Amino acid sequence: MDSDDRELFVEQVREHHAGLRGFVRALGVDPLWVDDVAQEAFIVAYNRLDEFDKERDFGAWLRGIARNLVINERRKDARRKRILSDNLTDVLLSTSSYPEDVEEEMGDQGLAKMNALKFCIKDLPEKSLQMLKARYEEESSAQAIAEDFSMNPPAVRKALERLRTALRKCMEERLAPASA
Amino acid sequence: MKNESTPEDLLQSLLHDEADDAVASRLSECAGNDPALARRIGEELEFSEMLRQVLLEGDFTDQKLESVLESDALECGDLVARVVDGSATTFECDQVVKHLWENPEATAELKRSLAVDEWISEAVSESKSGEAFVEALETRMWAETRQDHFVEDLTARLEDEIDPPENVVPFPGSWIAPAAQVGAVAAALAIGAFFAVQVLPSSSKALAVASIVKSSSDVSWAKDSTQVQDGALKSGRYQLDSGVVSLKFASGNEMTVEGPAVFDVNDDATTFVHHGVALARRQNADMGISLRSKGLSVSDSAQLVGIDARSETSTDAIMFEGDGGICLTERGICRELYEMEAVKADLGRDKLVDIPYNPHAFAKAWELLSGVEKNMGSVRIEMPGSKVGPSHEDVGEVQVYVENDSFRPEADMEVDKISVGEFASAETNSGQALQTEGDLRSYLLQLWPSDGSADDEEVEASLTFDHPVVGVIYSSDRLASSDLSVGSAITHVGDGFNDLRGLDSGNDSLLLSKDRKTLNLKLKGGASQVDQVRVLVALN
Repeated sequence: MDSDDRELFVEQVREHHAGLRGFVRALGVDPLWVDDVAQEAFIVAYNRLDEFDKERDFGAWLRGIARNLVINERRKDARRKRILSDNLTDVLLSTSSYPEDVEEEMGDQGLAKMNALKFCIKDLPEKSLQMLKARYEEESSAQAIAEDFSMNPPAVRKALERLRTALRKCMEERLAPASA
Repeated sequence: MKNESTPEDLLQSLLHDEADDAVASRLSECAGNDPALARRIGEELEFSEMLRQVLLEGDFTDQKLESVLESDALECGDLVARVVDGSATTFECDQVVKHLWENPEATAELKRSLAVDEWISEAVSESKSGEAFVEALETRMWAETRQDHFVEDLTARLEDEIDPPENVVPFPGSWIAPAAQVGAVAAALAIGAFFAVQVLPSSSKALAVASIVKSSSDVSWAKDSTQVQDGALKSGRYQLDSGVVSLKFASGNEMTVEGPAVFDVNDDATTFVHHGVALARRQNADMGISLRSKGLSVSDSAQLVGIDARSETSTDAIMFEGDGGICLTERGICRELYEMEAVKADLGRDKLVDIPYNPHAFAKAWELLSGVEKNMGSVRIEMPGSKVGPSHEDVGEVQVYVENDSFRPEADMEVDKISVGEFASAETNSGQALQTEGDLRSYLLQLWPSDGSADDEEVEASLTFDHPVVGVIYSSDRLASSDLSVGSAITHVGDGFNDLRGLDSGNDSLLLSKDRKTLNLKLKGGASQVDQVRVLVALN
């Protein structure tokens, strides 16, 4: 691998990591292990870069590698698995082409999605932001967040789900003009 | 549940939360052969969940948040939410799978939800940011592609740079030894591992290898634990049922252990923590610290390192201060671990994985190690890496930040005048030069402004420091000018933060005890002023 290839690889990492992590997560990988699997996909790609046809879509190639890694997880001993459940991953893998554009959508435009999302998060009320940070930055459980916010765990999950829905809608709206 | 139970019996058992694994398994089997039953189970669970959430709705106390988040009803229930937040059990995942079988669109929706959840995590959490990911990947690639020379470098440094003094026994074997030397099961932690030492010189304590320098009031040792005599620890296995203890080795390095914990103290001044949470702090610039576990080994120049060995399947390590090397003990693969980074050693897979910096597991140990004890009032000892900002608790909480654990002050550093032994208002004063030599530690005490509803509320707090207070700074201008002098590593947040810091002249008051170790504060919260006091203590 020459220096040009390495530079290309670094560029591809920066461009595709967000999309790849979303894609990996969408196959049922445990949130704690998403970065690990995504990093492993990049390392496999790095080691096989000579095999990559530069005319092809690097993101799609990466997703194929990641998909194979996740498939391999199902064959591991239970304690070595990085997925939540074999059955769940089976379903998510089997429907990864339904509808066909979902898989691409999951992995493409990663950076644009991240930027849009950051913009949307900035507009959140302070308390919503605190809850998001408790969940995603401090990695508090729903139980712990519930105690901090004087809520019940199911209500926390519901609030977070609504937040996610609102943020996703905001993100998609912000991306819509650019995509159109 | 008997074998003749009908699917309906099994379902009812499930709905009443009485299904054990066997029942769940049999029900899954039945559902697998009967799509109608599978659909019925999904509907019943969904309806149960709806009922539960409706009943709980009244406890959704934050109406403001409720209105902000008001939107269409959730498309997925609590089970799916558990899948999204990663807390779902295998059984719960299977329940979701049953729902997805019949509904491919729901599957696509779940995948989108999972992906969005991941992106939100990346957008919100610094440890999940793109930069952090790329940096971690870069480090891991160096290690896994065998281009990392850390092992050779460190070995050479150990051999060349550390010259053991007389009367010390070199640590047996290389610290990069295979896990077989460390122990097959136990998480192991070694501090001051390079030297065998005798801490207490008297004959009665001749065999002691460490001494307890501080402990919490709730310390309790198990009956079958090696007995601690006069605060001295000899070689043996110790079982700390509760409380927190700080041990000091002759090298000057410290280890703080939070119970419940089981650890060995060995003749060669190494300690092995089989279970529990431990923090190690390097106090001697000439002697590195080495934290080792079955899965990982942290060493070298780190100043403050923690391990969480409470899990049987993994060990977490977190670098609070300084940088160091971290190795997989079984494979000898090493990489660097930088400040505010954390890794998990997966003991089953023999693999190091980057995890978010989350110091909360070490909160109790840190309270003891921080060198400041809260006597009265609502006080929070903030963890290393905390940003100076609003308290997460109610208004009226005094936050304590350890700004700089050890530093040598500049000669012209100026502090505020403070009377000793009596309460006095914080007044505008001409200041005085800091009269001390040697190393200092700097604390920042802060009362964040209220939301405007409690202007006249007075907050009282009392703190006792391990070391004598040699300087107090509460004037806005001196706080700002001393930020650089104390080398504060704390990142201030918020615009105009520096304009309104310090104590309010005439309103806030403080008392420093005659032994200069206890500081009492009476602070008026106010709606805009950030009450701040910088406290400098002499370490030697």
